Amino acid sequence: MGVVRGSLNCTRFLVNGEPDEGFREAAREKVVRYSFKRLHEDSDQERAVGWVNILDEYQRGFLGDEYFKEPYIALSLRVDTRSVPARALRQYCREAEDEIKEREGLEFLSKKRREEVRDAVRARLLRRAIPRTAVYDMVWDLQRGLVLFGATSTRLCDEFAEIFYNTFELRLTSVYPYSLAYRLLQDKGLRADGLNDVRPFGLDRGAES
Amino acid sequence: MSLAEKMADTEFLGREFLVWLWFRSETREGVFDLEDIGTVEIWLDGKMTLESEGEERGEKVICAGAAARLKEARFALTKNKKPTQATLRMLKGDDEWSFSLDSAWLNFSSLKTPKVVQDVREDPDGLFYERMFLIEQPIAVMDALFSRFVELRLSPEWDAEELPAMKDWILGRGAWVGVPDRPPEP
Repeated sequence: MGVVRGSLNCTRFLVNGEPDEGFREAAREKVVRYSFKRLHEDSDQERAVGWVNILDEYQRGFLGDEYFKEPYIALSLRVDTRSVPARALRQYCREAEDEIKEREGLEFLSKKRREEVRDAVRARLLRRAIPRTAVYDMVWDLQRGLVLFGATSTRLCDEFAEIFYNTFELRLTSVYPYSLAYRLLQDKGLRADGLNDVRPFGLDRGAES
Repeated sequence: MSLAEKMADTEFLGREFLVWLWFRSETREGVFDLEDIGTVEIWLDGKMTLESEGEERGEKVICAGAAARLKEARFALTKNKKPTQATLRMLKGDDEWSFSLDSAWLNFSSLKTPKVVQDVREDPDGLFYERMFLIEQPIAVMDALFSRFVELRLSPEWDAEELPAMKDWILGRGAWVGVPDRPPEP
């Protein structure tokens, strides 16, 4: 699903400012720095986010600067997440608590102790969990200063805007009707101030009047 | 005013655009001549979501299916509900696109483009450029239409001609009685 294949859900952003002279060199280093790194099997990390090749999400790292596709920069944001199913967590916690109680001859475990058990069990199970992978395409039109991002959820868009800033040192502003109207009017050399005076029309009362 | 406040304050622009697009597509048989783009045909097809504004905000009507021809949706317009999401089809030459457009961000979802010719194994970059060409077309068309809507909305012509005509269309009276209520043949 995305720019290269399937149907597309997308959010548009305006890039605030323009890339400076050393932008391409800096981008080469930063794209690699913020490229996707797999969740380490021995860690209990839950989420990994980073850039991958838009044409090959499974490629490890980048061969060169294949993401420069004039006049665009095209990348995909890969998000891997892993989690422990709630029921499995309860089951394993119960077993671990029972084992401790039996070993130490205890009737009950304190809240603090149960929390410690829960954290340890969760970390152990997380290492065994297989990550879910999702990929969201991003295309930045360098000439027009517009970015197309292949997702519409607010959380993902915020996360994307942050990694975009970390990589390219430029802030993004979401396109919404007012900002788009303002930009389109300005592009045509028309005054956009009038937009601030427009009020919604009522169809019910108006239509019946 | 913060960005969130500005967005909330001007959200109606997206809803009104969807109403206007619906009105124009139905009363002009879906044909739009756009500068630098050419002639395109656009019609609403499938699902539409309408929501109340003002004090009754939150009330939602979802209309779906070609058979309904959006009669319920049009009735909802008279009850102070406006579209927050609409499914559209676009025809340009022999190519056809379908997508949903939302009023809050003018985001595209479920955008389906015509089939691509390039093969990802033979020419991956070729595929990328072809897809971008196909994705940018409906975006450019919607921007051109939104620009036309905004210019009209700010002009004296809006109150003098466009809005009265739109109200007549909603109530099915005047010149709009008997307007073809079907999409153009693909």
